[in-house]
Amino acid sequence: MPMRERHAFSSPRDAGEGFILKETTMALGYAADALTTPEFDADGFRRLGRFLLRPLWLAPVACALIVTTLYPFVFLVALSLSKSSLGKPFRAFAGLKNYALALGDGEFIASLLRTVAYALLSSAIQVAAGLALALLLFTLLKGGRFLLSLFLLPLMTPPVMVGVAWKLILAPAGGLLNGTLLRLGLVDEPVSFLGSAALAWASIALADLWQWTPFVAILCFAALSSLPEGVDDAARLDGAGPFERFWYITLPLIAAPLAAIFLIKLIFAFKLFDLTYILTYGGPGFATTTTGFSIFRLSMQQFEVARAAAETLIFAALIGLVTLPVVRLHRALERREA
Amino acid sequence: MRRRFDHRLPLAAIALAFFALPILYLASLSFKTKDDVLSGAFLPGTVTLANWAQAFEAAPLSTFTVNSVTVALLSGLLTVLITVPAAYAVLRLRYGWQRLSDVTLSSFMAPPIVAIIPLFYLLKGAGLLNTVAGLVLVYGMVNVPVAYWLITPFLRRVPVELEQAAELDGAGPLRRLVSIVLPLIAPGLAATGLIVTILAYNEFLFASVFTFGNETRTLPVGISLFQGDRLVNFGQMAAASLTGIVPVYLVALFLQRFLVQGLAHGGIK
Repeated sequence: MPMRERHAFSSPRDAGEGFILKETTMALGYAADALTTPEFDADGFRRLGRFLLRPLWLAPVACALIVTTLYPFVFLVALSLSKSSLGKPFRAFAGLKNYALALGDGEFIASLLRTVAYALLSSAIQVAAGLALALLLFTLLKGGRFLLSLFLLPLMTPPVMVGVAWKLILAPAGGLLNGTLLRLGLVDEPVSFLGSAALAWASIALADLWQWTPFVAILCFAALSSLPEGVDDAARLDGAGPFERFWYITLPLIAAPLAAIFLIKLIFAFKLFDLTYILTYGGPGFATTTTGFSIFRLSMQQFEVARAAAETLIFAALIGLVTLPVVRLHRALERREA
Repeated sequence: MRRRFDHRLPLAAIALAFFALPILYLASLSFKTKDDVLSGAFLPGTVTLANWAQAFEAAPLSTFTVNSVTVALLSGLLTVLITVPAAYAVLRLRYGWQRLSDVTLSSFMAPPIVAIIPLFYLLKGAGLLNTVAGLVLVYGMVNVPVAYWLITPFLRRVPVELEQAAELDGAGPLRRLVSIVLPLIAPGLAATGLIVTILAYNEFLFASVFTFGNETRTLPVGISLFQGDRLVNFGQMAAASLTGIVPVYLVALFLQRFLVQGLAHGGIK
């Protein structure tokens, strides 16, 4: 019988440089074991077979990643260097002309700034609101858990329907908010919430907050649940008030998960599309046109896919640039904890 | 024992009211008459069912629903089938490239708009534009990082000893996955499957670009077109939107146990 011990669990960290060499040696080892055993060794052949089938386990995910991530990036790079329209891609080589067009377009640059500002601001507000909600539910104990599952519903609501619901609430004629404000005498005539830049952004932010804060709260709730018991009680016995206990004890302890939650929310904030599509369609004017929305219109309505490809790559680079410091912060906080 | 009034309860009630408001308002609107809508009041003055009938007449809502449910279920299944064996192989069997976890997760950072033009040409080339199958394939693959992220903590928590014992008894990796690991991570599997299914059901951007006929459109796309229609009134829009919302809410209410668990565990580790 073969003597080699090859436990799948024995090498937890075998990533990296010697990987291919190591895998090849192992395959040869299995083959040698199977072939050098005097009597026919079914076990050895089975082990060799299993070893050779290993790539099949990973192939589907690798395939999905290639189709959804690697291929799009390669395709976009090629497309951005070409002269193309939606119906006739890759008509000629255009060099960096599309990038020059994109970067020279004030409206595109403005959309980038809007998108980044909105993503950072809305994520910060939602993490604060989500944490407040989680603290509220956490201290309510049993009832909190029940409410937590009710708060799942906004997250589960299709974003298009969230947009429709808020559009109906905010509508100038017959909207719930205007109806209420008029009845209370707070305004004399209906406010056009989606008609001015500032109010339109506030409306999007409100619908966004409605949809995502419960998710943030669930994550915060999980972070709070993992805190060691007793620290809070000890501080209470020492006479620390609720605000002091939160600021000096709870907050430092959940800083690392909180940074992770902010990162997750930031990633989602950059994906904002459906709400602007339904609520404002990028308007009034271009006031709420995010980069994602402008790329959508440029490629699918004006068919300028080459320039849209250049804009997409610039956008992706910017997202990386903005999220990197958050990733760093999260790592630093985790290290401090360890 | 003396009971003091808990000042947190009204706060919780306000939060609950805020999060329930849009859905309750949709429900109320869907039963309002055309004139009643203009009052801007929360509750309907007179209750009518006309909006529901008219909404189903104005748009093929039942076709949209069938499309949405089909796409969501099939793509959810596809995502789980793609992800779970690979996550198990990487995390527990230590097969292959260990950095696959990081790569999978970081591929989730890019917004879907990045993939829209390349996937458009890919589907066009494959003859899958404007087909339900095309959407199933796209969602099935796009949601893989989410599923990977959700299932990871569940896989990590399966005791290694159980598997080692099975390995000594001669069980191969596939056998161990099916008869030992999968039963143990069943709640995580349910949560993961549910969440990716709901993500697919809710998706709008890909569906709006990759389908362009009523026979393939999903509910979010159908309703986005509905709301641009000047002839459609608020009540019908509310009824149509609720038609799209009700299936997810039913699923969420019946299976909330798995959902909270999946989201809370998957989140922060």
